Amino acid sequence: MAALRSRVLSVFQGIHASSKIPLPLLDVRFEVCVTQVRGNRFLGIPKFRHPYWHLRKDRAHYAENLTPENKEFIRETIAKDYGPPSVISGVQTYDSPLKNIHKVESIEWFPGVRRTSTIAKKIGIQPLWLKDGTRVMASLLHIADNHVIRYNPPEQVIPMRHRKKVVPQKTLGKFGALIVGAESADPQEFTKEYCGLFKESGLPPKRKLARFLISPQAVLPAGTPLNALHYRVGDYVDVTGQTIQRGFQGVMKRWGFKGLRATHGVTKSHRRPGNIGAGGNKARVWPGKKMPGFMGGRYRTLRGLQILRINTEYNVLYVIGQNIPGQINSYVYVHDSLCRHRWVTEAKDARPLPTYIPKDSEGSPPENLYAPDVHRFDDPTITFEIVDTPVVRTGAKIAKAKGSKAK
Amino acid sequence: MAFYIGRLGFGPELRLLGCKTMRCLGADSRNVVTSPAMFLPRSTTMDSKAEGSAEKRVGAKKLSKGTSPLSIDSPTADLNMRYKYPEMFPEPFMIWRNPLKEKLERKDMLSRRSRIYIPEFYVGSVLRVTLSNFHQPDKTSTFVGICIQREECGLKATFILRNVIDNLGVEIKLELYDPRLQKIEVLRLERRLDTHLRYLRDCPPEYSTFPLDMKAEIRRTDEVPLNRMKVRLNPRPWTEWWHKYDYKGIENLTEHISDKMKKRRQILAKPWEKYDLMKTYRATLPEEDMAEILEEIKEDVENHEQKHKRRGA
Repeated sequence: MAALRSRVLSVFQGIHASSKIPLPLLDVRFEVCVTQVRGNRFLGIPKFRHPYWHLRKDRAHYAENLTPENKEFIRETIAKDYGPPSVISGVQTYDSPLKNIHKVESIEWFPGVRRTSTIAKKIGIQPLWLKDGTRVMASLLHIADNHVIRYNPPEQVIPMRHRKKVVPQKTLGKFGALIVGAESADPQEFTKEYCGLFKESGLPPKRKLARFLISPQAVLPAGTPLNALHYRVGDYVDVTGQTIQRGFQGVMKRWGFKGLRATHGVTKSHRRPGNIGAGGNKARVWPGKKMPGFMGGRYRTLRGLQILRINTEYNVLYVIGQNIPGQINSYVYVHDSLCRHRWVTEAKDARPLPTYIPKDSEGSPPENLYAPDVHRFDDPTITFEIVDTPVVRTGAKIAKAKGSKAK
Repeated sequence: MAFYIGRLGFGPELRLLGCKTMRCLGADSRNVVTSPAMFLPRSTTMDSKAEGSAEKRVGAKKLSKGTSPLSIDSPTADLNMRYKYPEMFPEPFMIWRNPLKEKLERKDMLSRRSRIYIPEFYVGSVLRVTLSNFHQPDKTSTFVGICIQREECGLKATFILRNVIDNLGVEIKLELYDPRLQKIEVLRLERRLDTHLRYLRDCPPEYSTFPLDMKAEIRRTDEVPLNRMKVRLNPRPWTEWWHKYDYKGIENLTEHISDKMKKRRQILAKPWEKYDLMKTYRATLPEEDMAEILEEIKEDVENHEQKHKRRGA
């Protein structure tokens, strides 16, 4: 609570610095206005340490007591480095002529090629209708301001450590790591060392950083923008996100146990698990027994989702399904699907490699791209044709006909 | 939709609506207590019988002076339009909102509206709906019924039509933006005393019986009339616990409930909730946001209405 209080007070002082209200006039009761942030409180898991490609991002927002002139100077400096702040494709970002813009050249597809994934924001769910009148729910994934930040070749890649999983040796040295960032932000929000990660690419610091393993052939130079046309309509994707935090939950909610009966002499145990183990020689609880505990907040992947529609103006993917992990407005990772019957097996089906490269001759793509069986909202109303059904002979009639022939 | 919230009190209605359709009211929290009349659409008829509380009198005075209860310093957009297009406003729950998604959704809604005329209607209006249906011999089906509920925002918006056919209550839940909808006709345009009329399920069939060949009634004014009809409930068992909430449109509720239920009704009553400014704030959209949305859709919607009028003439 003390830490919270100090944080709030620092914000409070920041407000004081920016406004002209004298300090005594602002009531100290302002402290109470803290919104609770639910976090991960799993027991027995070591403290989060940043991986080697990521550095400490959050900094203490202490009172800097900047004068208006100072602020103006900082704003000018940021604008000089990254361009003036502007809204591009519906995202607040910096209108920067990128420093390290290289010409990306397309490569030929080969079996097992893995290209980069993207970071998206899950912005909501809406229904779409297919041409046969079926209603499907689609999740909207906004690929907001994605840029390539850095590439680590395979020999530099250190696989992610995990408590239980063992990294298979055969993948080591096979894939390089592409670091991708989403949503440019004011560098004053972050620590100095975090901003330093972006020096090479010449981009403003990003709100979200992610590392994707790619084939070394499919590498993209730092500063390359990634947009929704990295995917095509009808493609299949896997979407990874952090599931919604549910807190400490009982077995009924967490594991779907039935609980005990409401009546018939049951007292105070209507939602309890019941027996959790046997007696005798095995008088203990087996490891992995489903018990109450913290629920949610785990990274989960939903696989094999089809892209029904793409909005190219705002870089939004309409992906089938309403159960993509994560809360609305949270970040998710969109990968090419690794499902067996969803991955590309032939060169003719190849996705744009290493990413979509706009061609001047083609002109700008249409605002909305639809998969062939999706109904567009500006199409006429769906009607069904009256078809004269042919008279189908029943088994009895056929038998009769056959019988008459035999005679 | 929920025009009478200001007069009925927020508690039961909010819970019934799942805090969803309230959003379309867009009441400014400051105005809620002082002017219940702001919830009325264009026909600003006040309830002459029930002038009990002080707020009502304030509202009546305001109206009699001819001042607009809606926009004191709001932008020029005609905020009365909000009652016509309730589904254009976003969901109420803050953490589900995203401006970009709402914008894209509105675009889709308008492009669907360019293909079908979705008229203004309220809970209590009688509609005829024509729908493409693969399983019918002529591939279309038609239904006439009274709208007993409107729910959800955006493309998910739905409404329920109810009718009694061959002594059997029939209900059909339709989506407003379903591309299989061929035509929506309003046969009788009126409002009722409650935000939903689901209690018609437990009423005698005469309240929800409409002939399938019903003809559209001629409208003499632009105003939407308010039908003050009160219905009589059948004895229990009911489909829902109607005694838990305060419905204006039920006449004989106390006849059917036991003493225990009466006590329960008293316990559940929350007369103070209409003064809960935070609750109103959370359940409604600020006027400025609403004006912005209306400004965005205004041109398309007006063009569309004019097009329809010309076609009708």
